[in-house]
Parts: sequence; structure tokens; C-alpha cells
Amino acid sequence: MKETPRRITDPSPGKDLARRRREKIAIGIVAVLVIGLTILEANLAAVGGMAFSSNIVIFALINLNVILIVLLIFLVTRNVFKLILDRKRNILGAKIRSRLVFIFIAFSLIPTILLFVAAANITTTSIKTWIGRRVGVALTNALDIVRENLEKEAASLSVVADQAASAVLQKSRKVSLEASLEKARRGSSPDVSLLVVGRDGVLAASGDVTGEIASRIRSRLKGEEGNVARGGVMTFIGESYASAARRLPGGRAVVAVKTIPRDEANKIRDIAKAYDEYHQVRLLDDPIRASYIATLILITLLVVFAASWMGIYLARQITVPIQMLAEGTEKVASGDLDVRLDYQSDDEFGHLVGSFNRMTADLKGMKKSLEDANVSLSSTFEELRRRSRFIETILTNISTGVIVIDRAGRIAMINKVAELILSIKTDKVLGKPYKEVVREEHYETVRTLSREVGETPGRKVERQVDLSVGGKEISLRVSLTALQGDDGEYMGLVVAFDDLSQAMRLQRIMAWREVARRIAHEIRNPLTPIQLSTERLQKRFASSHDHDPAFSECTQTILSEVGSLKSLVEEFTRFARMPVPAFKEGNLVEELRPVVETFRAAHSGIAWEFEEEEIPTVWFDPFQIRRAVTNLLENAASALKGQGRVVVRVAHEPGLGSVRVSVRDDGPGIPAGDRDRLFEPYFSRKEGGTGLGLAIVSAIASDHQGTVVVRDNVPKGAVFEIEIPVRPKGRG
Amino acid sequence: MSGEAMLRYVAISLVFLVVLVSPVLSADTSPKPRITDIHGEAKGGKAKVHFTLRNAFSPEMVEALKSGIEISFETVVRVRRHHRNWFDTTVGEITFSRSVRYDVFSRVYRLNRGKEVDLLPDIFTALARMTRYEVVVPLTSPVTPGKRYQALVRTHLDKVGLSEPLRSILFFSSLWDVETEWAIGAIDAP
Repeated sequence: MKETPRRITDPSPGKDLARRRREKIAIGIVAVLVIGLTILEANLAAVGGMAFSSNIVIFALINLNVILIVLLIFLVTRNVFKLILDRKRNILGAKIRSRLVFIFIAFSLIPTILLFVAAANITTTSIKTWIGRRVGVALTNALDIVRENLEKEAASLSVVADQAASAVLQKSRKVSLEASLEKARRGSSPDVSLLVVGRDGVLAASGDVTGEIASRIRSRLKGEEGNVARGGVMTFIGESYASAARRLPGGRAVVAVKTIPRDEANKIRDIAKAYDEYHQVRLLDDPIRASYIATLILITLLVVFAASWMGIYLARQITVPIQMLAEGTEKVASGDLDVRLDYQSDDEFGHLVGSFNRMTADLKGMKKSLEDANVSLSSTFEELRRRSRFIETILTNISTGVIVIDRAGRIAMINKVAELILSIKTDKVLGKPYKEVVREEHYETVRTLSREVGETPGRKVERQVDLSVGGKEISLRVSLTALQGDDGEYMGLVVAFDDLSQAMRLQRIMAWREVARRIAHEIRNPLTPIQLSTERLQKRFASSHDHDPAFSECTQTILSEVGSLKSLVEEFTRFARMPVPAFKEGNLVEELRPVVETFRAAHSGIAWEFEEEEIPTVWFDPFQIRRAVTNLLENAASALKGQGRVVVRVAHEPGLGSVRVSVRDDGPGIPAGDRDRLFEPYFSRKEGGTGLGLAIVSAIASDHQGTVVVRDNVPKGAVFEIEIPVRPKGRG
Repeated sequence: MSGEAMLRYVAISLVFLVVLVSPVLSADTSPKPRITDIHGEAKGGKAKVHFTLRNAFSPEMVEALKSGIEISFETVVRVRRHHRNWFDTTVGEITFSRSVRYDVFSRVYRLNRGKEVDLLPDIFTALARMTRYEVVVPLTSPVTPGKRYQALVRTHLDKVGLSEPLRSILFFSSLWDVETEWAIGAIDAP
């Protein structure tokens, strides 16, 4: 099945991501609104004549701006607090993110605060310089000089105003006011105008004077209505004029006006304006400074919070791929090579993530190759193991003992048959140099053999060797083969050997059978005539030798011995004519249990035990096997002399494909010297024994393609073991 | 409570605290401006209303006035017919501005009353003319003699005529806050 790569995307869950996006949008909108509204407020405030306190729009904008700034502060503060909480919770990436944000804030805060302090100081210093005493004095002096000049002009106009007033008062009814004013103006400077002002406006004028100036003079006259001027003449000055007025009866006044040239008037206006501003600044020193500071604080806050947010944003941009890489690395470390990082960027992080993804893909490919190689190796190994097991099985099941010695002379393998024949334990000798394992008495034999075969690859030597193993003499046919590798080099030795003892024993038995048959044949024939002749002698000469006891004793002895010889011949005949086993498949345990029960009844002083395992059905001759076991039990009972313990055990050897019947007693045991000849005919240590019982057992075991062995029982006594195959060759 | 919820709670509380507490902290303890001495007479199609504005000029404002800053008040005068058992009905209303500014060169106070400009030689006269009013209110319906009429007056600081650079600098600041409550006075309807 094709595996789907697991993707690691932005670590924030979807909900959190959406909220962060909303926050970003909110912060962006707030920042834009703050800037936009500030510009709008500045423009609105710059419009002349707009009152602050009463203008709802301005107030609304200012308040909205403040709320937006508070919102901005809230959003940024919230992000900062969230970062702190993430750090406390040990969330992956929080530490580096908080560190980056701290660095960003520190780097923005330090210059911003420095800038703020410097700007505040510069502002304060500038304001102080601006409203300094010297500036004030200069402005005041400038204004005083201008005013004095104009007042001088106005004073000089008093004469003109007096003359004009006289002319107006002395004029006849026929002369108009304008004419008398014109006449009065003839003697004065041409830039001097004359006016006659009444309560309702200008009654007459001579010369060029603007309506604005006339209106102002009229307002001044109205304002000074209650005042009595010294000498009856009043002087008024303005930025664009100097004038002198003399009141006339009837609420009228004659005014002599000198208009200041436009350029000069503008200069005077500028001086007056600067004077005004100076005093206003001086008066509003604190609010102006506070306004500047507030503006600076606002800008500083904006810069700091914008930098903080930028720091958070950039830190997040940096830490997200790091966090993803960390998670991905953890997954790779835990063996998950299907992990893929879903991060697209053209920066170094993008390259890093791309390299990570390529690395995991390569690792996965390599892992797959390794797994394939492992599968292939496992398969090969399994095949080798199967072959090895097959060879081991062969070596275990063959009747030949096999020992393998490697090129270094160490024992590499021993099969079970070799263990049994040589009475050695594999675990004690395996891996050891064979020279250390070989017993001293066998060393010469082994050395001779190994020298003969040498290390010539493929060379083979066969010898018959007689050894004494565990006090038993055995004959082995030994075959030594020097192993040859694929390149023809020496690989070690294979020692194969067969135990010829059993075969030799069988040969001996066969020979004895032949001897027995011939003896029986040769002896049986003369025994009957001897017996008949002796009986005849007894009948015929008994009366004549009534008084001769020697006759009767001799003849009786002859008859007795002939009887004995007949019995002996009968035994010989029976031994020599052992029938061919009639094999049939049956339950060996059920066949042997009654035999043991018979002996239990006959020899009550002996404890008879019967142990059995679950064994398969066996091909055997029931009569002969019963006979063999009976012979063993008779020997045991005889050895125990009425007291002791006999254990009969029937066991299955699945590895060897055989069943084993063992008879174990705690009697005196078999001396080591007698064991070799124990199964030979006519060897007996028993008083009155024919020496054929164990020979018959051995013959029955051989006829069943099995063996019979004897060994010491622990702690005392002897064990006889008959081992026969479950299915003899040609059966089953 | 989770850390995030706690944070939200603290932030919202702080915002509310700032919004609620700041007006209290900035509250002025100086005497409040008010309208007094409302009286007058309604006759024919118009009503003549007299009233006085008190506590309008703080010492700072007087200083500002002397420094050439123009101060302007906007006043609303509303005349209404008073009914004992029914809603009062407005019969006339006028809104006008009056401003004063010191001309440092001429050394006179320029009082602006709409179309008319008075040049006043001293501050006392200027302040008196800025606080004592006699206003003619045109009425939308003729006055019923013998009925009860009321004049409602309200004034607030309209603008502070700062010079151009200062206007830009102090656009965030409200230098003074002068605003009266509605004052009510009975006027005669002979």
C-alpha cells in the first residue's frame, strides 16, 4: 500500500491561525486609521477659524484615535503576554520567539527613547529660546519705534487738523465742506487726507483715504467719545495710517490722515504679528510644551508598539520553520520518515526546509533499500539455516559419529552419535583445540592419523582403531578427510567413525551360534545311545551288582550327566536356532506391563516399578521382546537376592526414531572388566547360569535392528538398555 | 481562569478605567460660567432680551486676551411661550457670536458684534461689552399680551483665535472650556 507522507504545516491550530489573521488585519486597520485620522485632524485644525472645543468632528476624531491607539496597545500587549505564557508552558519555539521579540523591542525602544528625550529637550530649548527675554525686548523695541514714528506723524498732523477745523468752522454757507477741506489741505503734504466725520459716517473727504481706514478712525472716535483730549486734538495710529482729529460741535470731527505706503504697512503688520505670537507663546508655554511632548509620546508609543508587533511578526516568521524543523526532526528521530514539512519560501529557511524534506526522502529510500537488503539477507540466512539444520539432522540421524575440526584445529561440530560413542559432552569440548580434548592414552593414535592426512586438501585416510572409552573397549572405523574450500585451500578436518563393536559382537554371536549348532549336532547324536546303553546296563546287571554300590552310582552318574548334557544341548540348539522375528505393530507398554506384574507377584521382596512415556506404536516381535525383558528381569532379581528396587522404563526418542526399554536395579552392579564379554554366550558369573540369557537378549535386540548396552546405575547397581527402532527397515 | 482569559479581563478593565476615570481627574474646580439677570420685553414681532454672562473669563483667559488672542462666544437665545398644562412652544430663536481681540499696535480692544466693530480703549470696557447683552429676537408669531413668555439663553466659547503656528501645535488641546447651562428667565409681554 502506498504510504501518504505526513505533512507538518504551520504549528498553530486552524482556529488560532484564523484568530491571528484577524488580529493582523485588525492591527493593520488600526494603524492605517490612526495615521489617516491624525492627518485628517491636522488638516481640519489647520483650517483657520475652526474652534477646537466646540467642534464635534475634531473631538470625535481625537477620541477615536485614542481608542484605536488603546486597541493597538491592547493587541500588542496581548501578543506579548501570550508569548510569555507560551514560554512558561515550554511550547516549542516560544523561547527563541520571546528572545527575538525582546531583542526587537529593545532595539526599537532604546533609540526611540533616546530620540524622544532628545526631541523633548530640543523642543523645550527651542520654546525657551523663542520666548527668551531678548526676543521679547527686540520685538517690543521694534514695535515701540514704529509706534513712536507714527505717533510723531500723527502729532505733526494735529496742526493740519486744527487748520482744517478752523476752515470748516469759518466757512460760509455757500462753500461746501469738501471745498473748505480742499483749501485747508493745499498747504500740507500731498499724502495727507482730510475727513469730516459725523455720527453716521464720513461727511466730507479730501485726498485718498480708504474706506477701511475711515471706518477705523470713526470707530476710534466713537470709542473715545467720552474722553476730553488735551488741547482738543486726538491722535490715532494704525498699521497703515497715522491721524489727528479735532472735534467740532454737533458730534462732528475733522481728521487729518496720513496713509502709510503698502509695503511699509505690511512690515508694521508683520512686526505686530510677531509681537502677538511671541506673547501668545509666552503665555501658552506649558500647553505648547505639553502638546509637543504628548505628540512625541504618541509617536514614540506608535513606533514602539509597531516595532513590537513587527518583532512578534518577524519572530514568528523565523520561528515557525524552526518549530516545524524541530517537530520534523523529532518525528524522524522516532523513526517516522514519511514526515514532510509544508513550508514554502524563497529564503534560507525555505532552502533549509527543502533540504530537510529531501533528506527525509533520501533516508526513506535508504531505509527501504536496507529493508530490502535485510529481507534478502534474512531469506539467504534462512536458507543457510535450513540447509545447516538439514545437515545437522543428517549428522544427528546417521549412525556414524562425525567430528568437524576447523582450520585452526578447534572442534567445530560434534554429532550425537560421536558423543555417545566417545562419551563426551559437546558443550565442554566445542570450540576447543582438539589436541587439548584428546585423552592422553589416545593422543598417539590421533597424532598418527592427523599426520597421515596432513593439511593436503581432499586427502582421506581410513583406519580401524581400538580405543578404551569409559572402561569399555571399542573398535572404530575412522575416516579422516581434509576439507577443501572453493579456492582449494585447507578448511579443516572431518572425522567420521563407525562403532564396529556391535557388528563384531554380532559376528561373534553368529560364530557362537554355528559352534553351538555343531556341538549340539555332534553331542546330541551319541548322547541317546549312551543313555540307552547305560539304562540297559542298569537293567541287566542291577541284580548282579546289588551289593556293588559303585555300579549303581556310576550308571546313575552317567545318566545324570547325559541328562545335563541333553539339557545343555537343548539350550545350545535353542540359541543356535533363534527364530526370525515375527514383526507386528503394537503397543510395547501394554506388552511389557504384564511381564513386570508377573515378577512383582513372584518376588514380593523387591519393589518393581514401571515407568512409561507416551510412545508411538512400534513394530516388534512380542514374544521375543517379552523374552528379552524377562531375561533382564531374571538377572536383576537374581542380583538383588530378594530385596531391592527394579525400575522398568519405556521411553521414546523422537530424534533417533527409537524406543528404549531400560531395566535399572540397585544391586551390586556389573564389574567393568566383565562388560565386554557380558553379552557373549556362555559368559556368566551366576551360579548355575548357562551364560546364554544376555546373549539371547543381545541377539533379539540385533534381530530388531537395535542394540543392548549396560552401564552403571547411580548410586549403585546396573542399567540395561534395549533400544530398537520404531519402524525397522523394511517394516511399517 | 486561563492565562489568556485573565489577560483579556485585565486589558478590558484597564481600558474602562482610563475611559471612566480620566474625565473625573480632569474636572475643573473653578466657578462655572452661567447666565444671570435674564429679563426683557416681548412686543409685536420681536422680543428684547437682556442677560449677563458671569464667570466666563478666567484670569488665564484675560491674560490670553491681553496677549492678542481672540476670544469668541457663541450665544443662543430662544424665546418661547409658556403653557401651564402643555408643552412650551418656541416662538423665536437667534444665534450670534461676539468676539474680542486686543490690537497691540493700536492698543485698543476690537469688539466684533457681527457687522459692527467697536474699538474699545481698555479691557474693562471690553469685558463688560463681552458679558452684558441686549439682544433683539425676531419672533415667528406675534406676542399675545398678558401671556407668559420665557427666554432661554446658553453661551459657549466658540473659538480661541490663536495665531497660525500655534493653532497647528495646539490642535489636540482645548485651552479653556466655557459652556453654560440653559438659563431661563421670564420676559414681559405687556
